Amino acid sequence: MAKEGSGSILQFAPFQSSVDEGFWHRLSSLKLNKFGIDDSPIPISGFFAPCSHPQVSNYLTLLAESLPSDSNEESSIPAFNRGNRNRCSVPGILYNTNTMESFHGLDKQGLLKAEAKKIWEDIHSGKVLEDSAVLSRFLLISFADLKKWSFHYWFAFPALILDPPATLVDLRPASQWFTLEEAESVSTACNEWRNSSVTADVPFILVSVGSDSRAAVRHLKDWETCQDDGQKLLFAFYDPCHLPNNPGWALRNFLAFICARWNLKTVHFLCYRENRGFADLSLSLVGEALITISQGWREHQCVPNAVGWELNKGRKVPRCINLAKSMDPTRLAISAADLNLKLMRWRALPSLNLDILFSIKCLLLGAGTLGCQVARMLMAWGVRKITLVDNGRVAMSNPLRQSLYTLDDCLSGGDFKATAAVRSLQRIFPAVVAEGVVMAIPMPGHPVSSQEENSVLEDCRRLNDLIGSHDVIFLLTDTRESRWLPTLLCANTNKITITAALGFDSFLVMRHGPGPFNSTPDLKVEMPNSLSAVMDNLALTNTDGKQRLGCYFCNDVVAPTDSTSNRTLDQQCTVTRPGLAPIASALAVELLVGILHHPYGIFAEAEIANSNNGGSSELPLGILPHQIRGSLPHFQQMTLVGHSSNSCTACCCTVVSEYRKRGMQFILQAINHPTFLEDLTGLTELMRSANTFQLDWDDEIEDADDECIEL
Amino acid sequence: MMDVFNWDGTVSAKDFRIGALSFAQKWESLNSAFPPWSWVPCPKHPWLASPEVDIDQNSQTDPGEEETSCSEKEDDIDDATLVQSNHHELHYCDFHIVYSYTFRVPVLYLRAYCSDGRPLLLDEIEKELPACSSKESPETKWAFITQEEHPYLKRPWYKLHPCGTSEFMKLLFLGGDTGQPKLEVVLELYLLSWFSAVGQVVGLRIPCKMLNDRR
Repeated sequence: MAKEGSGSILQFAPFQSSVDEGFWHRLSSLKLNKFGIDDSPIPISGFFAPCSHPQVSNYLTLLAESLPSDSNEESSIPAFNRGNRNRCSVPGILYNTNTMESFHGLDKQGLLKAEAKKIWEDIHSGKVLEDSAVLSRFLLISFADLKKWSFHYWFAFPALILDPPATLVDLRPASQWFTLEEAESVSTACNEWRNSSVTADVPFILVSVGSDSRAAVRHLKDWETCQDDGQKLLFAFYDPCHLPNNPGWALRNFLAFICARWNLKTVHFLCYRENRGFADLSLSLVGEALITISQGWREHQCVPNAVGWELNKGRKVPRCINLAKSMDPTRLAISAADLNLKLMRWRALPSLNLDILFSIKCLLLGAGTLGCQVARMLMAWGVRKITLVDNGRVAMSNPLRQSLYTLDDCLSGGDFKATAAVRSLQRIFPAVVAEGVVMAIPMPGHPVSSQEENSVLEDCRRLNDLIGSHDVIFLLTDTRESRWLPTLLCANTNKITITAALGFDSFLVMRHGPGPFNSTPDLKVEMPNSLSAVMDNLALTNTDGKQRLGCYFCNDVVAPTDSTSNRTLDQQCTVTRPGLAPIASALAVELLVGILHHPYGIFAEAEIANSNNGGSSELPLGILPHQIRGSLPHFQQMTLVGHSSNSCTACCCTVVSEYRKRGMQFILQAINHPTFLEDLTGLTELMRSANTFQLDWDDEIEDADDECIEL
Repeated sequence: MMDVFNWDGTVSAKDFRIGALSFAQKWESLNSAFPPWSWVPCPKHPWLASPEVDIDQNSQTDPGEEETSCSEKEDDIDDATLVQSNHHELHYCDFHIVYSYTFRVPVLYLRAYCSDGRPLLLDEIEKELPACSSKESPETKWAFITQEEHPYLKRPWYKLHPCGTSEFMKLLFLGGDTGQPKLEVVLELYLLSWFSAVGQVVGLRIPCKMLNDRR
């Protein structure tokens, strides 16, 4: 029974906050689009509901709808309606600062006091009787770091302190306090109240039970009419807390209101809780509290002290949440790109090796029509490391055919292609690791003066370094000569090399065969792990007499009679049918992916379309040809094989060993003396003997032979 | 009227809507132990929106974010505040069923978060999914969880990719030895059957009462 001072101090379970991701999304959007650096306080709404589970408390939740709408954002969510029984709305205020320092520098005591004052005013002005939810007014401070997508925040649930604190005389489950009949009636009345959209979200109510055991639920403002004798009157509130021995925080201000407004010293309260949507009187608690009013409470002007800053796992520190994974556009782009490839692997190509695609480093020599397309295709396949080499600037005609450039790149004389291309790649996919090198590729048969010699040698060395530090080299330049040096350097180090060359209406895409020497000391260091492992096993492949596949220059030498196709290739001519470059570039990249998935990689033998060799054509990506030659006028494409030539000016044994012996001096000699390479390889001899035949041939073929000699 | 052997495993938007409403109704009436599904119409978008469910998943995992910051000097606790030392971290999971016009099948979207609102990442979710309790890769033949933008809420959610759905729906109905069902029956039971299959991946089970109720 109630005795003065016989009870213990009434302890309330604090509100717990839960912030839905959508709240931060909208706050970021508002900050970026509407508020800018304006940090005035923002009125917000919190939502809570009575406890609905015996073991879990409910939270005060913030959702996207808690914030004012962002007019730029398409409002795809139906407007929040009052009367939602699961979302009782509570007013709050948000102080969002612009810097971490100002976040920590906020006067937290002052802010808490200000909110407590609002509650106090609402109590005395009668606002609580109109809209009782204001008793649970709350405060939120935050700092949104929109570069890192992390949000620092801290809730406060201001509670007016009763001094001395209220004492608890009795607390028990409601089902034990009411009679059976009363309990049933109370449940029914509460369920009705909760099911009506007019009253469902009114969180502070009166529950009266008459002597006939009939219960009624009323608004607070009807208190005067509930003063009949013989009636049990309970001050009820929606209690999100589930604990059996403690009422929820909302009761604090409710008690403060009751004693300030109606001067009661004994209060019977009902912590209203539910289970799966229905009133649960064994979970709900009925208690009796004793309140002593201090003198100060009569004076309206004197605002009581307040407590209420939320603890973070028991500590008085703010909380922090990082949403980079779901908000940072770069991360989202990366995961979307990964998703695409993974889907491909899941549905169509289980043996797709995404690791190798993500880790491989590609060097693109040339950032023109071919270079731009190859770069894009590589990114589509998941390649992330791309280096482009080009010494040219973007010209006004380029954007039409060179898919990485726009008009802006052409202005003021034009940006360097290599740099503009890298910029463009990064705009398409921010996670790409792209580098641009502005450099000319030294070419044989184009002699240089002695002043230029050093810089040319420097370029040679630089090219050698670039080739050494990449796994795949694409030869995408517009002259034949510019392909010579890279071919030699790649043959020397057994790098995967892919050439694409365009004629006016025909193209060639091919993979170079391995170089004449299989083992190089640098090989294992430069190749990605899986390739080097394969290499280890294949050291002897080409020493058993099988011919290795040829390079771009091998072809020319071994096909002196195939003059028509030679004529259309690579005539220092940059006029081509626009459709060719995208086709050739796409094939070049698909060819690369084929090589990467072939167990023998660069050593893979050539396959021709429509062949009947059962074994290797069962590879999931299909056959792996050596050369693909296409002709637009015929809408036709052929796969061909060309083996290496012992007199090849770029990749034959003689040339490569000479390079290994004499290095840059050898290169310089080739650059400065047009006939040097032919003499070295014995080509001169070969052509001389071919020329003696010429006398019997037609004029047409004579012209073609001349072109064969050109390098 | 198409017969069931020519059926491609998909369902029309109209049939989806009918099926969804009936599903939600049955769930609520037969399954009061679980939170109800609700139909959320979305007038501005071509997609039909979805029922929504909250399921508590009790798990004693480590609490999430570590906050480093200065602590306050003021005494913010008074005697009337209950300080709880025990803190069970709970994970919540929201499920949406959305109709996909591209694939013409229902798609299950899900999102998980901690009690304070922090979203859970896929690897954290996968730890709790029954399909991943073994050491198998989470990518089984039919279940591929991907992160994609929710078509209605415009935020990243996780979904069970629908490209295998029509195939396994065909198998479900035609693979058995119960003879050839009528197409109307198939479409009526579509959502229920679909849910019984995909629900397993994410640990949602249909109570027997619903499966047996053929009204």
